[in-house]
Amino acid sequence: MIIDQEKINEAIRTIQEYGGHGILNCVQCGACSAICPGVKAGFPLLCRNLIRHLLNGQLEEIIEDSSSWGCQACNRCTEVCPQGVRPQEVVFAFRRYQGNQLAFSTSAVTSQMNLYETGHAVYSDPKELRKQVGLPEETPTSAFDEKARQEIQALINAGPMGELGLF
Amino acid sequence: MNQEEEAGMAKVGVYVCHCGSNIASVIDVSAVRDFAAELPGVVLARKDLFMCADSGQELIMQDVRDGLVDRVVVAACTPRTHEPIFRAALERAGLNKYLFEMANIRDQGSWVHGQDHAGATEKAKKIVASAVGKAYNLEPLEDKFVEVTDAALVIGGGIGGITAALELANMGHKTYLVEKQPSIGGVMAQLDKTFPTNDCSACILTPKMVEVYNHPNIETYTYAEVDDVEGYIGNFKVKIRHKQTYVDWKKCTGCGDCASKCIGKAPDEFNNGLSERRAAYIMFPQAVPKKAVIDMDHCLNCGGRDIGTLPKVNQKTGKLILAPCEKACPAHAIDRSIAYDPNGDIQEVEVGSIVVATGYQVMDKGWFKEMAPESPNVITALQLERIISTTGPSEGKLVRPSDKERPHTITFVSCMGSRDEHFHTYCSRFCCMYMIKQARLLKEKYPDLVINMHFIDVRSAGKDYDEYYTGARKMGINFFKGKVGGLEMLPDDKLRVLAYDMESGENIEYVSDLVVLATAVELPADATTLAQKLGLQFCGANFFRELHPKLGPVETATEGLFLAGCCQGPKDIPDTVSQAKGAAAAAAVPLAQGKVRIEPIISEVITELCSGCGICVPLCPYQAISMRTTEARPRAQIEMSACKGCGVCTSACPSGAIVLHGYKEEQIFAQIEALTA
Repeated sequence: MIIDQEKINEAIRTIQEYGGHGILNCVQCGACSAICPGVKAGFPLLCRNLIRHLLNGQLEEIIEDSSSWGCQACNRCTEVCPQGVRPQEVVFAFRRYQGNQLAFSTSAVTSQMNLYETGHAVYSDPKELRKQVGLPEETPTSAFDEKARQEIQALINAGPMGELGLF
Repeated sequence: MNQEEEAGMAKVGVYVCHCGSNIASVIDVSAVRDFAAELPGVVLARKDLFMCADSGQELIMQDVRDGLVDRVVVAACTPRTHEPIFRAALERAGLNKYLFEMANIRDQGSWVHGQDHAGATEKAKKIVASAVGKAYNLEPLEDKFVEVTDAALVIGGGIGGITAALELANMGHKTYLVEKQPSIGGVMAQLDKTFPTNDCSACILTPKMVEVYNHPNIETYTYAEVDDVEGYIGNFKVKIRHKQTYVDWKKCTGCGDCASKCIGKAPDEFNNGLSERRAAYIMFPQAVPKKAVIDMDHCLNCGGRDIGTLPKVNQKTGKLILAPCEKACPAHAIDRSIAYDPNGDIQEVEVGSIVVATGYQVMDKGWFKEMAPESPNVITALQLERIISTTGPSEGKLVRPSDKERPHTITFVSCMGSRDEHFHTYCSRFCCMYMIKQARLLKEKYPDLVINMHFIDVRSAGKDYDEYYTGARKMGINFFKGKVGGLEMLPDDKLRVLAYDMESGENIEYVSDLVVLATAVELPADATTLAQKLGLQFCGANFFRELHPKLGPVETATEGLFLAGCCQGPKDIPDTVSQAKGAAAAAAVPLAQGKVRIEPIISEVITELCSGCGICVPLCPYQAISMRTTEARPRAQIEMSACKGCGVCTSACPSGAIVLHGYKEEQIFAQIEALTA
């Protein structure tokens, strides 16, 4: 690895602009990774290790990595961080960077499409299961409400997500 | 020649300092010098790379000797550190040292306006003009001297206080040692062994405790607190409050019979709550003095007899009905008929200097919610110290608190509350080393014990410390770089450790039987009360503030008041002992000199102008003003040795009858005029 101060500055500036304001507070203690469900599930570049790579200036090198999309937004990292880094915000800032560069994983595309089409980022057909337990087959949510779906789609189309050209 | 004419002749010399690059990298020193040269009253203005260096001082002294200047302004750093240096130079050159004024263009200029060079230069000019205005009006003043009481007070009976007291006493000074617990010894008495040599804490401490207690120059007061301090260097009046023991210590032999019969129970502070003690108790077997006390907060007032009442008489036998503790004492030392008095007995002593060595506490585990504090098997390192100590509740056997069984896996977690924005941002400094010590002691005794240690990083700076750490790795103790994120409680009072291995970048999860938290070192809450009584200041980390972080590590802003040990900041035993010896040496200086100099920057009443209204008397924070009858009328009078020169009386006097020397009205007005010009 080559230490390139220009690249390091660029990575830090980018992450801070996208909301990861505390990145420079990190002392690499690893407490965030110790409790991160994403790290536990095997995503290599989350929390401590993501911050390390960013502080090394490897913003472009890791742009295709899908780890950031494994973040469950539980925010335990923020609770245990002794230095006020707010690691989840760094992860989300990196996601925003990836999104703006149209570099997100297929898992992310699927959930975005789900959101656009049903109003739920995570969606599976509920009818069969609901029928088994004696509930009405259709949920009282946007998934079965044409008007609500249109409103959600209007909002998405009007925002930065719409500009990505996914839908 | 009257005063005005004399002042009119003042020849002010201005000396602007570069302070290397400290000032010159921001402020245009030449421009400030040129500006100063044009100020009224200024006869010459010079600049130098380091005014405080020998060459810079010589510059001033030569001008004084040549008769060119008779008032000196140095535009440089802070008078807190450098005013004495320049005053001494003036004195050597034969000029009254109070004809000196400092313009602080570093702290108030270059340091705070680093981004605005032009603005900082303009501000420096104003600061210099203000100092010149004052210097022009300065008058010579003479130092005053007061006698010193040849005695010292040491507050706190831990290893720091014990060391300081012994040093002072061995130098021949009467020393009072005050400790709030029933025994001296402090935290060190609770420790098993000490790093990096593994010598037994008690074996090296208890002889010192005995030496202090029996020293002919030392009066040791335990179960006592400093109630109030008045006065100043050389002449402090100290009120010591002796808490009630209900045991006559002259008779008590320390046999412990009262404790064995007492039924009142309380958590044992000496064992950090791992066991119980009785309300009547001796603090620990090696206590010095080995005397019993009755703790009224936990006394059950046996037999329905309140403290402070006489025992009832048995109607049949005619004998007194005594409480079990009274009955058990073979020396008849316990007297429960003494009335309860929360204030205790006040004793007054006079001392010339004071060493504060009040020590520290460690944070409670309850602060760390993610670390399963409700589990009995999550303990602080100081609790583990009691578990592995032969004088502890399990007599040195490693057992889990929950079931008294021996653990198979033990986990050490560093930096709990230290280096943490939520609690303390500082490093507690000796946790890494004591955890390694505890691990090594356990591994030696129980080779099959699995010991996992989790650090952000290992800090082992100190003589023989790193070798002690690397030695621990060779013993088969497991070290992991990475902070523990949390603990989860499992059945059988076991704990799941959620950790991370920085080097492999992988999570670590395992089940542990006992988890030891190295909780942060901090100042005890009651230290704040003491600080208020003594006039001590706090630093950013909330320890007592020393005079200067490098050059005044044992002194404080109050002359005659010195610091030793962890009350000034976290430090281990060798550092505490070193600082205590330093503090004792510094505290002995005024005692050895026999008199101390009082700066003449103090207030004085012009009796002819005083109307005798008495407004100043209650305003004085130092009780230095009293009303005396002069020519049959009341007039205010200021006790020179008690006055600190704060100026409150001067500004409050409706008759303008009080002057503060060194800050006279015309001097201050000249400063204001220069600043607003």
